Amino acid sequence: MDVTSQRTGGALIVSVEGRVDGANARKFQKAVESVIDDDDGAVILDMENLSYISSAGLRSILLIAKGLQKRNSQFAVCSLQDAIGEVFRIVGFDKIVTIHSSQGEAVSAMGS
Amino acid sequence: MNRPYKILVVDDEPDLEPLMLQRMRRHIRAGRYSFVFARNGLEALDRLNEDGDIDMVLSDINMPQMDGLTLLEQIPKVDPNIRSVIISAYGDMKNIRTAMNRGAFDFVTKPVDFKDLQITIERTLAHMMEWREALSYRDKLVSIQNELEVASRIQQSILPSEFPDDLRYQVYGNMEPARDVGGDFFDIMLLDEGQIGLAIADVSDKGVPAALFMMSCRTLLKGVAIGLTEPGAVLGEVNDLLHEDNETMLFVTVLYAVYNPSTGEFTYASGGHDAPLLIRSDGSVSLLPLTDGIALGVVPELEYKQHSITLGPGDTVVLYTDGVTEAQNTDGSAFEVDGLHQIFAGSSAYLKAREGTDLVFEKVREFMGEASQFDDITCLTLHRDN
Repeated sequence: MDVTSQRTGGALIVSVEGRVDGANARKFQKAVESVIDDDDGAVILDMENLSYISSAGLRSILLIAKGLQKRNSQFAVCSLQDAIGEVFRIVGFDKIVTIHSSQGEAVSAMGS
Repeated sequence: MNRPYKILVVDDEPDLEPLMLQRMRRHIRAGRYSFVFARNGLEALDRLNEDGDIDMVLSDINMPQMDGLTLLEQIPKVDPNIRSVIISAYGDMKNIRTAMNRGAFDFVTKPVDFKDLQITIERTLAHMMEWREALSYRDKLVSIQNELEVASRIQQSILPSEFPDDLRYQVYGNMEPARDVGGDFFDIMLLDEGQIGLAIADVSDKGVPAALFMMSCRTLLKGVAIGLTEPGAVLGEVNDLLHEDNETMLFVTVLYAVYNPSTGEFTYASGGHDAPLLIRSDGSVSLLPLTDGIALGVVPELEYKQHSITLGPGDTVVLYTDGVTEAQNTDGSAFEVDGLHQIFAGSSAYLKAREGTDLVFEKVREFMGEASQFDDITCLTLHRDN
């Protein structure tokens, strides 16, 4: 699992790579929080290179989203691989987390 | 530490006692050290046995009755946590080596340089304190481990171990936790008018917080299910109850179904849970449609949709958690829903509930091979008899 970030337009893009499961979900959450805490704008979590996420990882995303909601920052995820999209759909999180098909789409949606 | 460190000095030279007390007087007055003395190894062992609170031993080698090297071998039998320092003749490497091999922590040479001795004592005590601390952490870990094992047994014991005995249908479930305490559970409830409630659930994450959340989830589900007959309404109610004060954002995916044995009607609602597998009596296998519900505990005041099908004689429904479909083999590939399909494709109408559940566990284990189990594996099978 690896977390990197870059600023694009009005949003902070946080990219996660590899697997997020019970063993590293807290580490993942802390890594994301440490980059978004330096910022007060919108956050896009890019999952293009995320190959697997367990329910513990989904919970971390909920906690990240909750933190952003508290400070009134927009939050979205983008570029989900098919299997990850399926997990979001089964658990029903596609209804509570904004999902975009690409980073570009997410950035322009946040800008509007 | 409040009391002074107690040091046993063993030497047959009577002069050492007043000399030690005199040179160390400041540390004695400051309450850092206290000294007791013995004239040979035997006396020293008596002191160790009688006092019980000696922290370290400072011993000469050549003494009557029992020498220092023999004493070194005896000390661990009294208390393995006592540290010893040997006083040897200058350059007597043979005895020093023997002493170190027998577990002495350090040595000083004669004539004793008291400043050097004091540094050696401090080093020895520091080591001993670290050692004791490590031991106490180890003991705490062992006791936490024991408590987790008890928790695991409690958790296993709340799962149904006896299943309804009815000529019209069979139901059988099993759960295997990945760690000591897990987040999966299943339940079977006897409801009004001969109906039965079937639940399978998976709490996000593992370990103690997930286990506590799972226990409350199971209790709430049982309580609500007895009062309400519609699966969608049951999930809605449990969701609201779980959502109250859920700062931890733990959530649970639940599939809850009500089965009517008289009519074969099977009504289910999913709160973010995997779709059940339906095996018709002709051997055709399909996934039941999801009802688009969100996992419980995250968003309040949701309405959960439900869906009904009718099980014909010989039909089977398999409920499972993602521990089944996401089980990995040594190559890192997952069992997937396809794996489940393959187990049951073409199976006959004579497939029984227990056979179905056991078959899932058998095939998943076969698939995993030597790979370790990351998630709880749970399966609950319902079969309508012919």
